[in-house]
Amino acid sequence: MFAQVLAAEFLKLRRSKVTWFSLAALSLGPLAIALMMWIVREPGRAAKLGLLGTKANLSGLTATWPAYSSMLTMVVGFGGMLLLAFVVAFVFGREYTEGTAKNLLALPVGRHWFALAKLVVAAVWWAALVAAVLVEGFALGALLRLPGFSASLAASTVRDALLAATVAYLLVPVVAWIAMLGRGYLPPLGFALAMLMLGDVLGHTGWAPWFPWAIVPQFIGAIGKPATTIAPVSFVVIALTFAGGIAATIAQLRWADNAQ
Amino acid sequence: MNAAEGGATAVADAAATGGVAIAARRLERRYGDVLAVEALDLNVRRGEIYGFLGRNGAGKTTTIRMVLGLIRPSAGEVDVLGARVKPGATAPFARVGYLVESATAYPNLTVRENLEIQRRLTATPHTAVGEAIALLRLDGLADRRAGVLSLGNKQRLSLARALLHHPDLLVLDEPTNALDPAGIAEVRELLRSLARERGVTVFVSSHILGEVAQLADRIGIMHEGRLIEELDREQLRAQERLYVRVGVSDQARAATLLAAAGFARIDQAGDGLRVHEAEGRVPEMARLLVEAGLDLTELTTVREDLERHFLRITGGAA
Repeated sequence: MFAQVLAAEFLKLRRSKVTWFSLAALSLGPLAIALMMWIVREPGRAAKLGLLGTKANLSGLTATWPAYSSMLTMVVGFGGMLLLAFVVAFVFGREYTEGTAKNLLALPVGRHWFALAKLVVAAVWWAALVAAVLVEGFALGALLRLPGFSASLAASTVRDALLAATVAYLLVPVVAWIAMLGRGYLPPLGFALAMLMLGDVLGHTGWAPWFPWAIVPQFIGAIGKPATTIAPVSFVVIALTFAGGIAATIAQLRWADNAQ
Repeated sequence: MNAAEGGATAVADAAATGGVAIAARRLERRYGDVLAVEALDLNVRRGEIYGFLGRNGAGKTTTIRMVLGLIRPSAGEVDVLGARVKPGATAPFARVGYLVESATAYPNLTVRENLEIQRRLTATPHTAVGEAIALLRLDGLADRRAGVLSLGNKQRLSLARALLHHPDLLVLDEPTNALDPAGIAEVRELLRSLARERGVTVFVSSHILGEVAQLADRIGIMHEGRLIEELDREQLRAQERLYVRVGVSDQARAATLLAAAGFARIDQAGDGLRVHEAEGRVPEMARLLVEAGLDLTELTTVREDLERHFLRITGGAA
């Protein structure tokens, strides 16, 4: 039965503009950092085009592959956390916004299958976005002919980006639960934004390894003191958050009133 | 065999086998201090069309949501096709089709794709989508996106979704909403034929009294959360009264003349005289009044039906 539910969930994405919008939004990240690299490398030409070459130089950036790949990981990790929340808000929240949730709840299909199928759809969607952005990022880096490229750098960039993307994904069941609790798009987006802001604050206090929404930003160097790895305790925190999110999402579908 | 006879036969069969499609016992739902449904005992027999009537806010939709397990009762229990409805229960729903309140669909998907989703979720053969499209006359719209459909056609799509997997029980909340008169007649005929030819039980809520009266084998009237009356077809007919409305130049003199001629029940109303139990004597009445030199402006047979009865028992103006 799960295969049928999953097929139905993928069918719901057909002709959806949101899929293309999410790709366009995340694609802006590599474009933006590639532009920054170009400005740093060509400040004179950038200034002639009206771009802020001098300020970019003053920021301490260097136009190299290590700097570029570090920012690419940041795009996937930090930008992705917001965009992934948007994806999950859409996949779960649309059923309430479009009034179709009630059509799913009195069927010969266990309600938990819907939750799991939607999470699989979000995972596949997210994986496709991350893959597309990494390909785009490496292609733009190659076009810029940045110095310092090596196979090991590329491998570590991909590894870090995938680790950040995976950890970011493991937080989304909580966002899915908020989408169902709030019956729409805005509550999960607001929640994700609030959590990232709180993570930013906690990232400067030493509590980052313990707060799920601070772990990825700290790992990718977006907040606080950059971490080279994710602390073991953080994996426990993330695993508990994932399990709690799944349990809450299924419980919400199974037990909550749907008086939409 | 006409629809009424068909429905009556199905009801008789169901009664003979003791079949009950929906059985609610002391069902209640409370929202804070408001008791939306109060101690509801309801039995819908298999094969019958049960009209669930009530004003807005009477508790019809809340009851339907509890029947479908969309909301939990505060008290009581409900069985559907012999299986207890509990949160997340799936047991009876392979055989239940439903439409609750507004018609909804995925706007980015076509009519066919929306039905394909339902087909997958109910594990129904591929042919079912085409059958449902034909049944609801959606052929010309099958490849159109649901988001651009009119409200009436969205309602048809929702009905097609409810019928797609050939359910034994249809639970329909205001199914003729947004349909034009021709569409309403089509849906009425469709529900009748489903009950008559396939033995489908139909539990249909409506506030359109005439619609329910034409369709249902039995009617339950909800008011302020309580089921205040149930009527079968015979009792329904008994509620229908005929009177002759008489527009005449001198009402008092006409009333005297008619009373002298043996018309026993005459009321004087704002729109003329109302002469009850007189439907077979209209020509005699006309002759009598004209021969007495009165100017006759109207002589109309009026059917006083369920609507008046409904308004009376729910405290509305009759």
